[in-house]
Amino acid sequence: MESLLNGFEAFQRYYLNWQIIQETVPLLLRTLPIVFELLVLSMFFSFVLGLILSLMRLSRFRAFRWFAGAYVDFFRGLPLLLNLVFVYSGLAIVGANSGMRFLILGEIPAAVLSLSTTYAAYSAEVFRAGIESIHRGQMEAARSLGMTYGQSMRYVVLPQAIKIVIPPLTNEFIALIKDTSLASVISVQELLFTAKEKMGVVANPTPLAVAAVVYVVFTIPLIRLASRLEKKRERGSKGQKPTGGSAGKTPALVSADIAAQLPTGGGVR
Amino acid sequence: MSDPTTMIELHDVHKSYGHLEVLRGIDLQITKSEVVVVIGPSGSGKSTMLRCINALEPIQRGKIIIEGTDLTDSKTNVNQVRQKIGMVFQSFNLFPHKTALENVMLAPLKVKKQSRGEVEKIARDLLVTVGLSDKADNHPDQLSGGQQQRVAIARALAMQPDMMLFDEVTSALDPELVAEVLNVMKDLALAGMTMVVVTHEMGFAREVGTRMIFMDEGVIVEEADPREMIANPREERTQKFLGMVL
Repeated sequence: MESLLNGFEAFQRYYLNWQIIQETVPLLLRTLPIVFELLVLSMFFSFVLGLILSLMRLSRFRAFRWFAGAYVDFFRGLPLLLNLVFVYSGLAIVGANSGMRFLILGEIPAAVLSLSTTYAAYSAEVFRAGIESIHRGQMEAARSLGMTYGQSMRYVVLPQAIKIVIPPLTNEFIALIKDTSLASVISVQELLFTAKEKMGVVANPTPLAVAAVVYVVFTIPLIRLASRLEKKRERGSKGQKPTGGSAGKTPALVSADIAAQLPTGGGVR
Repeated sequence: MSDPTTMIELHDVHKSYGHLEVLRGIDLQITKSEVVVVIGPSGSGKSTMLRCINALEPIQRGKIIIEGTDLTDSKTNVNQVRQKIGMVFQSFNLFPHKTALENVMLAPLKVKKQSRGEVEKIARDLLVTVGLSDKADNHPDQLSGGQQQRVAIARALAMQPDMMLFDEVTSALDPELVAEVLNVMKDLALAGMTMVVVTHEMGFAREVGTRMIFMDEGVIVEEADPREMIANPREERTQKFLGMVL
């Protein structure tokens, strides 16, 4: 009994040390603007680039398809950590030696660039699956009305595809939140970096526990949201009124396709 | 080609998917206000022919000329030609994220760049024409198949096309909903619209059609007045097919 109590006391002293918690919390909260900056910028650029890549991948021009395919394969296969180190340190060395100063990036721009380029590859796959899940008849109907390919995409296919990809994109976003912690290796002063620093100072891992709580506080609601959206989508497609014949079958078929095609957050990597 | 009333011309049209030749030399001329009914067994190439007329499918050989414009010419702006051709599909293909009214308005707004007020008036009038003025604000999933198909017809008409293509538009409908769609098509025909109708509805063909075409295995087997063909098919293949559907 006594040893159990001792064990509990030791656990509390090392992982939930109240004194250190009180010191760490304000320290970590102060890093949140940097985390949000990384998140918002990386999300924005990766979605935009991902959408462009997905359209290129579905283009009728072979060069575009080839480029987008190669890009997606490369960045899906490349460790994000390596991407970060290369963009921050690798480019800086080249920049310093060659006089191309623009290659020397600050920590935050480097982190945003790496996160965006890698996540663009993931988003591109999600967008592509979403666009492909829209029945071919939609594009044909739009084209038959005289709309160009671009107009048909913009006004008919993409608005429907976006709705479908929101749940998987939410999963991407959750993964991105967690992966901002990788930016600590290029000394971006975000959550993990600051927690590790504090851990060194107090020689106690409690700051890591605090950082873990902060991450989880942000990710768990999003995880719940993502699964709620997914359930809603399933319900939505089942609730469609059958409209007779093959046309009535379309919604159900489409959603089955999507379920099979769309990468769900964890599955992609 | 010189005849200004010629709307659609097909000259020796060949179309294949890989090794499968779906159209094997189609020659056809359709003049203004004709209602051409196309019948034939499934896989005979009827729908493919319709889709080629609208350039939804590329052809491998031959020529398709729409109101004097050669569709197969690489300099032709296909989008412009398509504006003159309305098409209605078996599976409706309404835009599910838009209301009935928005479905009808989209193309005139974006393609013809007409003003919103003008387009809305045209669209509401068309919904009245197809008997759906009370469904303007409903989304497609709130409409029956017959209602959806009538919206699809209104959507095609909103571009004020010179001709309309109907691709088995009643095949996906429950039997009791077929008549409401055929009636709209009948009114259109009476108003002088040039129409090409792929269908199995022999009653409609007999009543509204001005010409009937029987296709089989990628060629036009027989061509005649609908009443004449239904009563006295000349070709053996036509007799056999009509024997099965009538």
